[in-house]
Amino acid sequence: MTFQKRLAAKEFVVLAEMHTPKGVNISRLVNDARKVKGKVDAVVIPGMDNGIMRMSALGGGVLMQQQGIEAIMHVYCRDRNRMALQGDILAAHVLGVQNLIVAHSEDITEGDHREAKPVNDIDEVQLLEAIGKLQKGKDMEGFELDGIPSFNTGCTFGPYTDPKSMEAQLKLAKAKVEAGAKYIITPPVFDMEHFKGFYAKVKELGVPVIPTVFLIKSLAIAQYIASTDPGAHISEDVISRIRKSKERELEGIKIAGETIAALRELAQGVMIQTLGWEYKLPEILDAAGI
Amino acid sequence: MITAERKPLEEIIACVAPFRKVLLVGCNECVTVCAAGGRKEVGLLASGLHMALLQQGKSVEIREHTLERQCDPEYVEELNSLIDGADAVLSMACGCGVQTIAGRYKDKPVFPAVNTKFMGASERQGVWAERCQGCGNCLLGQTGGICPIARCAKRLMNGPCGGSTKGSCEIDPDTDCAWQLIWDRLKALGLTENYVEMIPAKDWRTSIGNGPRKIIREDLAE
Repeated sequence: MTFQKRLAAKEFVVLAEMHTPKGVNISRLVNDARKVKGKVDAVVIPGMDNGIMRMSALGGGVLMQQQGIEAIMHVYCRDRNRMALQGDILAAHVLGVQNLIVAHSEDITEGDHREAKPVNDIDEVQLLEAIGKLQKGKDMEGFELDGIPSFNTGCTFGPYTDPKSMEAQLKLAKAKVEAGAKYIITPPVFDMEHFKGFYAKVKELGVPVIPTVFLIKSLAIAQYIASTDPGAHISEDVISRIRKSKERELEGIKIAGETIAALRELAQGVMIQTLGWEYKLPEILDAAGI
Repeated sequence: MITAERKPLEEIIACVAPFRKVLLVGCNECVTVCAAGGRKEVGLLASGLHMALLQQGKSVEIREHTLERQCDPEYVEELNSLIDGADAVLSMACGCGVQTIAGRYKDKPVFPAVNTKFMGASERQGVWAERCQGCGNCLLGQTGGICPIARCAKRLMNGPCGGSTKGSCEIDPDTDCAWQLIWDRLKALGLTENYVEMIPAKDWRTSIGNGPRKIIREDLAE
């Protein structure tokens, strides 16, 4: 069953994020993807939305499809103008990519090409509207398309640091849903109690909500997130659990697995994010009982 | 200078029509020079609004005032005695002036009456043309005093695109090809070696790449 059909059937979906290489060596990406084939419903391929120059999401998405793995491709506005975005989206359909996520992108100054000029010709809501228009056979200027693409398009819930910025993101998410987003990927869940309150609000938008489960690779990462991202709600208990563990990497995997298991009772799915440790995905899935 | 053009009257009317008392504020600087928002234009707009609103059966009291420099908080203070008597402010300054008023009088709606266009120079009476995009790292010394960022339609940094005809840009025969101008000027100055020197990919952090910019002069800042 496809990702789209599972969402429609209200079945729990498991997505795994996999980054394309910074270069042309695709062996790691392909090998890691093969290891989770059949265990996850789809692989999410980000582009350069975190600011790091790498192989494009379109290339990664097509690679996944060639492996018989359903791909969900990120599209975002920082690096491409409306023409390039529409062109890549048409190409994605032709090359077999059926799922898109209109993603929030980090500021260019947060990445590895800080001298680059950001594009930001249109924003995420406008991009969602453009995708909707393409699916009705017209481009953004209203010109007719020769062949109409179709997509299962979602969006990301933007990062937030406090209740005020969460409300702002909630309003933006509502606009994204109204513009055509069929599902929402949330920021990482580190605290189930906080997430429950957040989830109740996002769920009101009426589309499936898929929280991100982030693999905490080390104590330093947990501490870094806790100190720099108050919106993450990473608790002292979690940090203490990793600190006390004799096998900290394994502890991170256990925490991710437990989070996924807990979310099975609540959300419509999970999107597992390992940021370079995609080879650990099978262990995380085992820990989650998937 | 910063150039501007007045917005269409209908658009301005739509902004001010809901209010009873409007303070119309001009600026004596750039927008006066480009005849978009100085004292004279404030008077003309006030008359135009009066007539148009009367025709629509609406009565809006418009008070006129022109500041020496609307982007300078010191001069904006002049509005203190007038602001309480206004339900809204209509600014004829560039976007900098509009925002200075909005920042100073937080409970007053402020509307722009002009569209801010570009940093330009006067070509002849009544004609202003774009000359600078404020990229924050001026290259004019290498390009014969002609800016390829502001004046080349494609912002090419290393020679023309090949689409120009008889020295005119392919997008508009009335626009000079910046690179033709650069070549002619370097030739006249005997500096054609500048032309073959490659300009590397630009660091846009000094321009729009690094978010809103700010200059802090420690020797002057209070």
